[in-house]
Amino acid sequence: MAEQAMRPQMMGARVARVEDPRLLTGQARFLDDIQVPGMLELAFVRSPYAAARILDIDTGKARKLPGVHDVLTFSDCPYRLWQRTEYQVGQPALADGGVFYVGEPVVAVVADNRYLAEDAAEAVRITYEPLTPVLEMRAAILEEPRRVHAGAENVFFHRSHRTPGFEQAFADAPLHLTATFRLNRQTAVSIEPRGTAALPDPASGRITVYASTQSPHRMRSDFSEIMEIPEHLLRIVVPEVGGGFGMKANTYPEDLVVVAAAIKLRRPVKWVSDRMESLLADVHARDDIHDVEVAFEPSGRIVAVRDHLMADGGAYPAYPFSGAVGETSLAARVLTGPYHIPHLATEIDCTYSNKMPLGAYRGVWGPVASFIQEGIVDRVARRLAKDPAEVRRVNMIRPEQFPYRNAAGAVYDPGSYGESLERALDLIGYEERRRLQRLARESGRYLGIGISAFVEPTAMASSEAGSIGYEACSLRIEPTGKVTAAMGLGPTGQGHETTMAQVIADQIGVDLQDIVVLHGDTDSAPFGGGTGGSRSGPIGGGAALVAGRQMGERLKTYAAHMLEASFDDIELGNGKAWVTGVPSRSVSIREIAEIAYTDVKRIPPGLPIGLELVARYLPTRSVSFSNGTHIAVVEVDPPTGLVSVIDYAVVNDCGQLINPTIVEGQIHGGVAQGVGAAILEALRYDDDGQLTTTSLMDYLLPQATDVPRMQIAHLVTPADGEGGMKGMGEGSLIASPAAIANAISDALEPFGVLVDTLPVTPRDIIRWTAQSGF
Amino acid sequence: MKPAAFEYFRASNAVQAVGLLQQYREAKILAGGQSLVPLMNFRLSRPSALVDISGITELARIVPTAHGLRLGALVRHQDLVDNPMVRETIPVLAEAAAHIGHWAVRNRGTVGGSLAHADPAAELPAVMVALGADIVVMDAEGERKIPARAFFVGFYTTTLGSDALIVAIEMPRPREPVGFYEVVRRHGDFALAGALVEAGESTGAVTWFGVTPAPVRMAWTALAEDEGLRRQQWERLTRDLDFAGDEAFRRPLAVTVAERAYQRARGGH
Ligand SMILES: Cc1cc2nc3c(=O)[nH]c(=O)nc-3n(C[C@H](O)[C@H](O)[C@H](O)COP(=O)(O)OP(=O)(O)OC[C@H]3O[C@@H](n4cnc5c(N)ncnc54)[C@H](O)[C@@H]3O)c2cc1C
Repeated sequence: MAEQAMRPQMMGARVARVEDPRLLTGQARFLDDIQVPGMLELAFVRSPYAAARILDIDTGKARKLPGVHDVLTFSDCPYRLWQRTEYQVGQPALADGGVFYVGEPVVAVVADNRYLAEDAAEAVRITYEPLTPVLEMRAAILEEPRRVHAGAENVFFHRSHRTPGFEQAFADAPLHLTATFRLNRQTAVSIEPRGTAALPDPASGRITVYASTQSPHRMRSDFSEIMEIPEHLLRIVVPEVGGGFGMKANTYPEDLVVVAAAIKLRRPVKWVSDRMESLLADVHARDDIHDVEVAFEPSGRIVAVRDHLMADGGAYPAYPFSGAVGETSLAARVLTGPYHIPHLATEIDCTYSNKMPLGAYRGVWGPVASFIQEGIVDRVARRLAKDPAEVRRVNMIRPEQFPYRNAAGAVYDPGSYGESLERALDLIGYEERRRLQRLARESGRYLGIGISAFVEPTAMASSEAGSIGYEACSLRIEPTGKVTAAMGLGPTGQGHETTMAQVIADQIGVDLQDIVVLHGDTDSAPFGGGTGGSRSGPIGGGAALVAGRQMGERLKTYAAHMLEASFDDIELGNGKAWVTGVPSRSVSIREIAEIAYTDVKRIPPGLPIGLELVARYLPTRSVSFSNGTHIAVVEVDPPTGLVSVIDYAVVNDCGQLINPTIVEGQIHGGVAQGVGAAILEALRYDDDGQLTTTSLMDYLLPQATDVPRMQIAHLVTPADGEGGMKGMGEGSLIASPAAIANAISDALEPFGVLVDTLPVTPRDIIRWTAQSGF
Repeated sequence: MKPAAFEYFRASNAVQAVGLLQQYREAKILAGGQSLVPLMNFRLSRPSALVDISGITELARIVPTAHGLRLGALVRHQDLVDNPMVRETIPVLAEAAAHIGHWAVRNRGTVGGSLAHADPAAELPAVMVALGADIVVMDAEGERKIPARAFFVGFYTTTLGSDALIVAIEMPRPREPVGFYEVVRRHGDFALAGALVEAGESTGAVTWFGVTPAPVRMAWTALAEDEGLRRQQWERLTRDLDFAGDEAFRRPLAVTVAERAYQRARGGH
């Protein structure tokens, strides 16, 4: 027991983030802080048309302007994303004879600074012949008004799935309903926009690329494959990143152009996206239509769901994955959520259009599937005049059904589905809320309570952030006993330097402050998949844990040898190894390190010189499901159409928690984004294909005052992988839009409203309610 | 998002500022910069020269007059919120100003800038129209007054000449209780719709902003006591409004903000 007390357990502890002091005092270095002598800045000329042929590009005047070093077109940068043929088309780094969406990079200007670069960009003369833009999904499927790419069908991804016996089960059910759900385009809007800086080193012939990305190794592979730069001559360094949310998991055309310009000019070149560029040309997300039919029973049991899933993928498949394919094909796999719905038929169409390509945004398929599935449950409840909580109880997967294979074939590992629902109802005080709601209605106020029970597919053995399913951790104890770990993760604010150190600390028995976790530098980190798809905690954490355990075993072998005890009797903690029950028989890790590096004759037989290893961890499960329930309470003011989220409860189960404070921070942020997704954020293209929301005056993000206080409770159903962790980066944005949407439906029940479009705007609410006597 | 090149002058008095406007035909006044600088960064505005008036301290004063207050053009929005004389004499001005953007924006943005910029959804132009303020402007000919009700003509358009400087605003003390109400999607946003209602014993007026290209004031001689009937009256008043093609959304909002402003004028919340 005394020995236990000597070893603080870091796994699960509310440790303050080591990242915070530098972030909060403005000492962190982001991409735009990278400055080196002679660095040039790059600006893009972007397409003002949704679709046009390029007849001529005249760069003559721009080249003559003071401070301009070069003006690049496709011929200077003749690369295409997607050289593989999956999607038949691949975006050129700079437009090649035509433009396909507003904001597409056409010409790049390199100048002494951004001001001069923008002046010169204005002086570039491009002659376009505009074409009719393709903007509407349903029409695009019918090849109307035309094909986006002459050589490819508009539907670039089609898939269907049907459980055996679907039609019969659907027809036999006594009750049916139909609904069409629409999710408008949104995007991540990281506080720090994208950016890339390429620094060729004439001495070594290598090129260092600083990039605000989630996937450093993938980006290195991309430059190497697409631009044919030998991989060993490339180094990717990710400085501090101010948010990514999946949007920074891509390699973008701009990245290729910056590298090409630096190589051509033999000068360091930097490009930092401004906010207008970010709204125009960061991957968009969530442009989906779902035509849904549901078959159910009077008890509320849902028997079968049919869904035609459509997503507008934009002009090209983003690289290296199309968000449209992610949002549909994976939504189709979790469309039944935490419910036992035996029959499912899905049909998927992803289409090209003349809009910005669709990529990933936190949750990807999850927020889409949750909005549909929770919308379905609420519709069934409304039809049957049952309490929405009750219909959820009736359909919820029961504990004895795990491992549960859903109707799409996805296998859920155990979770706390029913329990999370009940806990959340308790937390929000459900019955009391219903009573207050009735009272409020009597005085003309519209309160609504919205439930969203969710599953969160995490730790996919192949995620959107990288095509690899494993993660790696190199671990080195330095000669003085201090510890350096390096990983291929690409954190964008999640606090990996803290959480990974916590995992390692327990395994090798050193204090947190004696561990540094390096990441985001391909020269120091072992090959890794980067951060995305809620994989860094469970898979990265798993790798850190395996590396720590292997190092711990090596330390114990040393200690057993030096203390003449058996391996099994050695304990590690507080920077020491000792014999169980005899704390005075101990040796410090520093002493072991000294032997390992300098007094190598004393190394126990069979062990290598030094204390350094690399461990890789590939989960045996292809995916691990976190789960939970969110409940939102809103007040809607029908005459103004305004919604305020006034209370919020979250019950979250992500298995073993590494650091509850960090988990809660992730939840806070995801719910804030959910408020945006539910009532504020929409990217709108007009009939000409012009994006009309190109500033934060038009693309409305939630402000601090729009985000409710949250009550959060944790349930723990450990995963069966290393450490028992499941991912949890996305669940909060998976569940929250549906919770808020359902709360609005609930508030406006007297008007017969069931929300079917996100976001819900004042315009919608006034339209739904104005006729009713206000 | 970098502005095109421009020349920069810092004026030390109003006469010098007007002189510079004369000299540089494409010049613009720079006051708080909260509207002009974003437009320049988008390159939607590209003045050849900026005449920065922010150092002219005599334009930043609030002084009492026989009828109310005289606000220098450079009075910051936050001063309107905080100044005891404003709160005392024209409380609705302080209340309206508190709805402009956020504290940081209000610390820089100026009354003159807001009126010259004439955003249809801005609060201060509507306050000036409602209360019948006079806008004191200076150009090469000297000083003159333009009634606020003859100043705002449409989207971002006023009768102020491009070579004229707003130096002050003369505001009468309101004779009747004035209620203010606006609808914003997020705190600090420009209003989707707003109204000021002057509620006298039998007569009164409503001034709308955010729903039409410029603030519109309409007077009435009798208003129903019953809320339902009153709503019908607001509805009738809105028939003459130019909703710029967005009637289905703006008309019900216009009715709502008028009613809520009225209730506030009458002491409700
Ligand atoms: C985030 C944000 C939110 C905002 N929200 C609101 C809001 O909710 N409501 C609202 O009303 N405003 C809002 N604003 C705008 C703000 O009120 C501005 O301060 C105001 O519109 C312009 O005042 P300014 O002093 O900054 O003028 P500037 O930006 O310096 O100038 C604006 C225009 O007026 C001209 N001008 C300025 N002063 C004079 C003068 N004395 N004589 C002649 N011409 C002059 C300039 O030449 C320019 O054309 C917001 C601004 C921001 C950045």
